[in-house]
Amino acid sequence: MLARLLLSLAALGGPRWSSGAHGTELPSPPSVWFEAKFFQHILHWSPIPNQSNSTYYEVAILKYGKEDWQLLPNCSQRLVLSCDLTLFTLDLYRSFGYWARVRAMEGSQHSNWTITKTRFTMDEVTLTVGSVKLEVHKDFILGTIQPPRPQITPEGDAYENIFEFFRQYKIAIRKVPENMFTVYTVPHENFNLSVPGKWGEFCVKVKPSVASRTNKAEWSEEQCLRLSQQYLTVTNLSIFFTLFLLLCGGLVFLALQNYVRSKGKLPAVLDFKKPDPFIPNNLPCPEIYNTIHILGPEAFLKVSPEPRDSDLHGSTDSGFGSCKPSLQTEEPPFLLPGPEPQSQGTLGKGESPELQDSHSNGSSNSTDSGICLQEPSLHRGPGLSWDQQVRSASHSQDDSGIGLVQNSEGKLEHTQCQSALGHISILEPKVPEAEDPAVMTFQGYLKQTRPTEETASSGGSLDENPLTNDLGPKPWTCLQAETGWPLPALAKGYLKQDSPGLGVAPTRAAAGQWNQLTEEWPLLALASCEDLSLTSWRFTHGLGSLDCVVAPIGLLGSFDSDLVNLSHISSLNSKE
Amino acid sequence: MKGWCVSLWPPILMLILCSVHTNSLKRCLISVDMRFIEKSFQGIKRELQAKDTFQNVTVLSILESPKNIKPADVCCVTKHLLTFYRDRVFQDHQESSPQIVRKISSIANSFLYMQKTLHQCQEQRWCHCSQEATNATRTVHDNYDQLDVHSAALKSLGELDIFLAWIDKNHQETSAA
Repeated sequence: MLARLLLSLAALGGPRWSSGAHGTELPSPPSVWFEAKFFQHILHWSPIPNQSNSTYYEVAILKYGKEDWQLLPNCSQRLVLSCDLTLFTLDLYRSFGYWARVRAMEGSQHSNWTITKTRFTMDEVTLTVGSVKLEVHKDFILGTIQPPRPQITPEGDAYENIFEFFRQYKIAIRKVPENMFTVYTVPHENFNLSVPGKWGEFCVKVKPSVASRTNKAEWSEEQCLRLSQQYLTVTNLSIFFTLFLLLCGGLVFLALQNYVRSKGKLPAVLDFKKPDPFIPNNLPCPEIYNTIHILGPEAFLKVSPEPRDSDLHGSTDSGFGSCKPSLQTEEPPFLLPGPEPQSQGTLGKGESPELQDSHSNGSSNSTDSGICLQEPSLHRGPGLSWDQQVRSASHSQDDSGIGLVQNSEGKLEHTQCQSALGHISILEPKVPEAEDPAVMTFQGYLKQTRPTEETASSGGSLDENPLTNDLGPKPWTCLQAETGWPLPALAKGYLKQDSPGLGVAPTRAAAGQWNQLTEEWPLLALASCEDLSLTSWRFTHGLGSLDCVVAPIGLLGSFDSDLVNLSHISSLNSKE
Repeated sequence: MKGWCVSLWPPILMLILCSVHTNSLKRCLISVDMRFIEKSFQGIKRELQAKDTFQNVTVLSILESPKNIKPADVCCVTKHLLTFYRDRVFQDHQESSPQIVRKISSIANSFLYMQKTLHQCQEQRWCHCSQEATNATRTVHDNYDQLDVHSAALKSLGELDIFLAWIDKNHQETSAA
């Protein structure tokens, strides 16, 4: 029973089993592939493991669609791992392709066939060029590409016939010893490359392609040639000739000129003329800085009461809340020759000290600049309402500027004047038209001379936001402390302060005098509180307000002899 | 003299019609990017052809020799083969690899576009189908039916390079003309 089974099995798989028995003894080649160029079709295969010296390989090909495989005995050589199948595949470019297979043989033993992974067609042919001929012609490199011309090529199957359309070539050129190539694409076998103005050694290589196909391609070998510098070119010759003509023309011109000059006669007697009386020998030097100009009140009338927009005002304010004396640091509107304020003509007698003091007070160091706004409520009602307004404004602001704010204990608090001004500026930045700013300024000071009870009674006026009543930038009036810290009258209050550290209580007379001053000199209203800067606003009880009051007056101390002392006081206060 | 001129008219007309008919394929396929389709096929050619176990059978045998198809029948045969691939090959093929499926889908979409173009040509009577063209198409179907469905579809997909090369060659000839 078992024998019959074995026999039947042998009969069924006889030939295969017998071949398989041999095949199984030898392993089949791992891989088989084609490496083809134009009419150069080479079949490669990898060797079997542990092959011996007697191992050889059988190769067979099959034209796609045909029935039988064709065995190639010429490829069956010992230890040879490739075979040229070109002769057996001449119609590759006009057929569907070929299949190829390989098996190992050793004696009577053989392995299984290993077939190519893909059908071998012209798509797998790597494109190359036969040769490249280069010539140098002036600044051009003329090239001629020769397609591959294998001898085995059948008649009518030239490269140009097989790949009839869309042939193109990439030309890569580099200058020795650089390694950077410049690549051009040309559609024909003839090309010319221009290298104007360049000489030296150049290397060229070519790579073919067919635009309508996906064939791989290889670069040709580099061919190098040398371009020598052309000196005797048409351009060079023409330039040389032109220069030569110009040179000759110039020489002729010079010769003629010399000849003409030689015709002229020399004077018999040399006559030295007297100097021209109209030409002054010693020109008077202008003295710019020696004159002292005394400015009268007319000069100050030219000052615009409106705030100016300038970079000096540019801190955080729009210009209305800055506290910098515009007369001091900005371009003066009145006629002062010379750049230095010290050497300039003063505003009046005693002006320069004030100016100097104001400078020394550190007003120039103020962060604020420009014109300080004034409350219209100062013009109307009690001044203490101003305190409340400013206090609310200052509390509502972030850090910016310094302003007088009264706390619940009656002490002066330092806040940025600018903040209050900024608050005010936000309310109404427009320029006032109807009211006199000078009057409003002094009314502010007048208010501050009153005690606390007046503040409560007048608190409502500020709540009405008087600045919104079409009042624009107003001259700054410093806030005065609340009860117990009335603003002293400017003139007399400051006049009384002979020694530093003494608080001077403002009086009504001083306030009135200040009011009168501002009426006469509206510039006072414009005086910005540069003293409101950090350095100058050192508030002490009863003195901080004086600083504020003093600063504007300091600028104009020349107007009144009493005001001269104010600058001294302000300087003392600033130092404190 | 008049008779001589009149007798020249039919050949001239025939010449014009022939040239127009020859260029019909060019007019129909001029906007198709064949290179894109060829590149898509090259990406899956190895996987498809490696599975083909019937190397001695060819589905598109009619395209092997240019003499088998007349220039006048090129448009008709192309149209029929596009229909063959759309209705049978792409439908019968079963592929598990998503990459191959993506490539095949791309090729199928391109074939659909070519079919629409040829349909327009047919409406304008530029793509006339002769009996020989019809017979050639029938041969393709017969070859397909010799194999099992899976093998036939796989082999037909593996022969896409033959079909594309044939279209490209005829397209190039007409465009060059």
